[in-house]
Amino acid sequence: MIQEGILRHAATRLLGLIPTLLLLITIAFFMIRVAPGGPFDSEKVLPPEIRANLDAKYHLDEPLLQQYFRYLGQIMSGDFGPSFQYKDWTVNELIARGFPVSATVGGLAMLLAFVLGTLIGITAALKQNTATDYSVMGVAMLGISIPNFVIAPLLILGTAVYAGWLPAGGWDWSWQRMVLPVITLALPVIAYIARLTRGSMIEVLHSNYIRTARAKGLPERMVIRRHAFKPAILPVISYMGPATAALITGSVVIERIYSIPGLGSYFVQGALNRDYTLVMGVVIFYGIVIIVLNFIVDLIYAWLNPRIRYDEAS
Amino acid sequence: MALLEVTGLQVEFDTPEGAVKAVNGMNFEVNEGETLAIVGESGAGKSQLVMAIMGLLAENGSASGKALFRGKDLMKMKPKELNTVRGRHIAMIFQDPMTSLNPFLSIEKQMTEVAMHHQGLPRDEARAHAVEMLRAVRIPDPEERILQYPHEYSGGMRQRVMIAMGLLCEPELLIADEPSTALDVTIQAQITELVSELRQETRMAIILITHDLAAVAEISDRIIVMYAGEVVEAGSVDDIFYRPQHPYTRGLLASVPRLDRVSDDELQAIPGNPPNLLELPSGCRFRDRCVEAIEQCSEKPPLWVSADGRVSRCVMEMEGGAIEPASEEAGGAE
Amino acid sequence: MTRSSAIRALLACCLTGLASCGDGERDFGGPRENRLQPVELVLMENGRPDPAVLADEQTVLRGNGEEPETLDPHLAQGVPSSHILRDLFEGLTTESPEGKVIPGVALRWNISRDARTYTFYLRRDLVWSNGEPLVADDFVYSLQRALDPGTASSAATTLLPIQNAREVLAGEMAIEELGIALLDEFTMQITLTGPTPYFLGLLASPVAYPVNRKNVEEFGDQFSKPGKLVSNGAYTLSEWNPRVGIELVKNPNYREADSALVERVIYLPIEDQSTEVNRFRSGDLDWTFEVPNNQFKWLQQHYARELVISPWMGSYFFGFNLTQEPFIDNPSLRMALILSVDRQILTEKVTQFGEKPSFALVPPGIDGYVPFSPEYADWTQEERNHEARRLFEQAGYSEDRPLRIEIRYNTSDNHKKIALAIASMWKQVLGINSTLVNEEFRVFLQNREQKVVTQVFRAGWISDYNDPYSFLELFRTGHGLNDYGYGNSTFDALLDEAGKERVRARRERLMFEAERVLMSDHVVIPIYTYVTKRLVNPHLRGWQNNVMDHHPTRFMFKLKSRAPGSPEPQAEFAPDTPPATEAQPRATGDPEEPTPEQAAEPVLADEEESQ
Repeated sequence: MIQEGILRHAATRLLGLIPTLLLLITIAFFMIRVAPGGPFDSEKVLPPEIRANLDAKYHLDEPLLQQYFRYLGQIMSGDFGPSFQYKDWTVNELIARGFPVSATVGGLAMLLAFVLGTLIGITAALKQNTATDYSVMGVAMLGISIPNFVIAPLLILGTAVYAGWLPAGGWDWSWQRMVLPVITLALPVIAYIARLTRGSMIEVLHSNYIRTARAKGLPERMVIRRHAFKPAILPVISYMGPATAALITGSVVIERIYSIPGLGSYFVQGALNRDYTLVMGVVIFYGIVIIVLNFIVDLIYAWLNPRIRYDEAS
Repeated sequence: MALLEVTGLQVEFDTPEGAVKAVNGMNFEVNEGETLAIVGESGAGKSQLVMAIMGLLAENGSASGKALFRGKDLMKMKPKELNTVRGRHIAMIFQDPMTSLNPFLSIEKQMTEVAMHHQGLPRDEARAHAVEMLRAVRIPDPEERILQYPHEYSGGMRQRVMIAMGLLCEPELLIADEPSTALDVTIQAQITELVSELRQETRMAIILITHDLAAVAEISDRIIVMYAGEVVEAGSVDDIFYRPQHPYTRGLLASVPRLDRVSDDELQAIPGNPPNLLELPSGCRFRDRCVEAIEQCSEKPPLWVSADGRVSRCVMEMEGGAIEPASEEAGGAE
Repeated sequence: MTRSSAIRALLACCLTGLASCGDGERDFGGPRENRLQPVELVLMENGRPDPAVLADEQTVLRGNGEEPETLDPHLAQGVPSSHILRDLFEGLTTESPEGKVIPGVALRWNISRDARTYTFYLRRDLVWSNGEPLVADDFVYSLQRALDPGTASSAATTLLPIQNAREVLAGEMAIEELGIALLDEFTMQITLTGPTPYFLGLLASPVAYPVNRKNVEEFGDQFSKPGKLVSNGAYTLSEWNPRVGIELVKNPNYREADSALVERVIYLPIEDQSTEVNRFRSGDLDWTFEVPNNQFKWLQQHYARELVISPWMGSYFFGFNLTQEPFIDNPSLRMALILSVDRQILTEKVTQFGEKPSFALVPPGIDGYVPFSPEYADWTQEERNHEARRLFEQAGYSEDRPLRIEIRYNTSDNHKKIALAIASMWKQVLGINSTLVNEEFRVFLQNREQKVVTQVFRAGWISDYNDPYSFLELFRTGHGLNDYGYGNSTFDALLDEAGKERVRARRERLMFEAERVLMSDHVVIPIYTYVTKRLVNPHLRGWQNNVMDHHPTRFMFKLKSRAPGSPEPQAEFAPDTPPATEAQPRATGDPEEPTPEQAAEPVLADEEESQ
């Protein structure tokens, strides 16, 4: 029953995804082309002959509408086409290589942020208005207020340049190279989740059912873990959908500072270089990732909160 | 020895406006198998009184005094020790059944955890026991309904669950804090009836907290009437109902419909509102609203115990009995 | 942990991702006092480094700017990709460590009297990295491919001097009609449209590299991937992870494989300059692509031994739009603006990154050319300002009739700082009120080209080849990049003549004259000429500064580290060691040792001319 409900729900959501994506594709397609300049403009102007050859090769000489439908036809078969800028790679290849990196760093950052953020938030809530509360929340707030392009170089200088504990950047899937980017990416999220958790935990702790749990003589640990935790993290879960999407799609700043081959730079580089296919590919991919993540978050939310189960509808 | 013996209990709240004394020196006892009703308007401190006993005061509240349960002072217990009493020997059910159950956990989880934790029962046994309890509180199809979540229950049903959960470990004392107030009238009656039946079946002691004097007439052995954090009158049901001594008790009685009165025309509410605990009148705390108030009321009346064991706090009744020391801390009870 | 084992560990990290790194000491990472220093270079009689001083592990880690856009030599344009391609391939000609054109695959060549026909005699024993023989037909095929309209190569502009190249690119002529002919298996001829004195240099650039026909035909546009790419240079492609790194290993089939000491080169694309410096400082890199301007001073103080500064073929200047008010037909005003810019302050106080103040267009150091120097170059700034005020008034401006202008630049901190400084100089000296307009790069380019809204705008040029012509031709009437709207028939005629002139000295005089004409017309405000700046591991030797900034890895080698605690040579240890200055030659020996064959008959253009 539950499964059926979820399946039906998933199917509806997926169907709803198609018009959304189509709209996204259309807007992005025309927007990037309306932006002044083209993929082959540079400070050195190309002779018209070469320009014509390039336009012909990438079909830029066709009417815009024809290009649009050609593009639609192409992505129907799952092919995002060749990148204009990274000429030896297809957009599919670049996404296939970039996304796992961004997803790993972003996912680990989210995991770290979730664990630390909720721990800090709960600790602060339990010691509300004590020195512990103020100091952990104060430290956490630093994470929000100091931008990551400030923190990252400091971390590199401290741990890599002077101490030599960690590499100063680069990527090879080893944990050493993930540590700093994950921490940098997680810091503001930790702070945000801590604040969110603290607030909702305090609210939950004042609720009647927590009083009931205490009246039942359950040890405080059990009261927190069993009765207060789930409702307290619900707001965190709703926040995590968009936040995870933001993290796993890659951060340009982090990718630049740590020289990580994630997806974020492709998006920005692609847009700056008017690499139409790359930008489009990443935009569509982002769209899908965000929709899927929101769906997953909905499922988790429903699983945590018995009041919104999808089998209810019937 | 009384099951629960409360002496000099005070509850204070630290508020931005200043310290508020919600309960001001309560003394009372509950004997085994006895049902004690504590009656008063909302804000009289009756809920805070039992919260203090259960160690459930809000963070800004603090309690002093003694609450000996089987000779052990609950007020001095560390949380760990207190948790061996709460839920096991003293159970409590609350005013608002809609929010008192955890909406995120199934009824089964919420019930079995009590038995599993306190009695060390394995899950199946705890579950079977819980189902029995649900049956005992008249919940139909308990085997199925136990799998459900609170939002699938009506208010009355939730209160039944709360009661069942409280009774799971066969406690010696059940504290019921306005168990039926939040429910509609027919359900209220059902719950009251249920409590009364269970009382007879289990022979446990009950502290029943209510603002509704009428509702406790049937099921209580004794009644304490509270006003503004203090006892104003205490005695047996008959005494309170038929021979009320304190004007406040009389006011309360006048405001409830009674079979022995001819018509409801005589129903009248006590004028005014309960006093602000931050700005208490000097002398008798009821003086501002008392229709019988006289000059002497501006001095603090002591708590009187009459020869026949009646207790009241009104200067008008002083002649009827012997004076006990009238210090606030040690005002005699019973 | 020795340098080499550190490198090995790092390599393992970089490319296999299995080993753990970050433990153990590094030899030049971390605070300066912990850095190890190389032993002194000892040369053998043949001029090659003594094997005893070489590090065990000859691996070079080179920071390489942005991710290369392609490793297809015919499509590649950017600096990062050309660095890699120079290691992977070799053209008919190639470059020495000093950037001089030397024989590559072609052993020698003849140039016809009209300077339009080049006959190349290829070395006979060369093979591709896959062992197949490398023949003249490979070059014919490759040049044709580069110019094939279907290839759509932007880099093909470089090959436009070849006869009929433009027509072939435009699809108006069949590819066979290109001025390229196969004479026999190892001889080929290239005919040009007109004399092009720098043509031999062009042949050393990636677009003129050979690609293996079978390789291209088998894999199509995927042929430049690792495991597929067949090349003919000193190294072959072994691994390519986009935006992670490109690993090249020595090509045992390369003609001079024995003299190439570096076994392995890893090019790391590092977009962020500060990150690159940090990675260098933590021992991750032997060679940075560049250094960030804002750290230049600090590095000068703390990394004097590693910081290398050298002139580069680039000029930074601002241009006037000569087609619009207020600059149309107003040379006095333009000169006043040019004079009142204090270049000393701009380079020493504003930018502070080692650039050279400039008074002309062509940067110094280009293949023997001495750039034009206007009279005012020798004046004090006081004198210049004085003259500027005079000209300003002469142009009809004064305090009562002040000038308002817009200074336009594309978004960048550096451009902004310079534009701000110039605006304040103009305000101070001439009372001009300037508005700064910054635009996104492509918008900026479009505005420049349209010549409608622009007044004063940022410009600059970095040459592709070692010839002043590259700078001057931008100002020809109607040139695609003539965003100034400049047109002077005398100037055009001088350039036309220079294009045809075969005698080098005469040609240089013509170009000098052209530059003089241009500068006297006050078309641009010269600001500075570029230098290259990078950090280099002191262990890494064998390379030399050159104006091209081309540094093929095959000339490099790595020295062993001195045992920690052993006394450093006085020269390096002296506390008063001056900050790194330009053109510090690094290589004590010249590893470019000509083979006997080469030494016997190196036939270069200049000599050919005199025959």
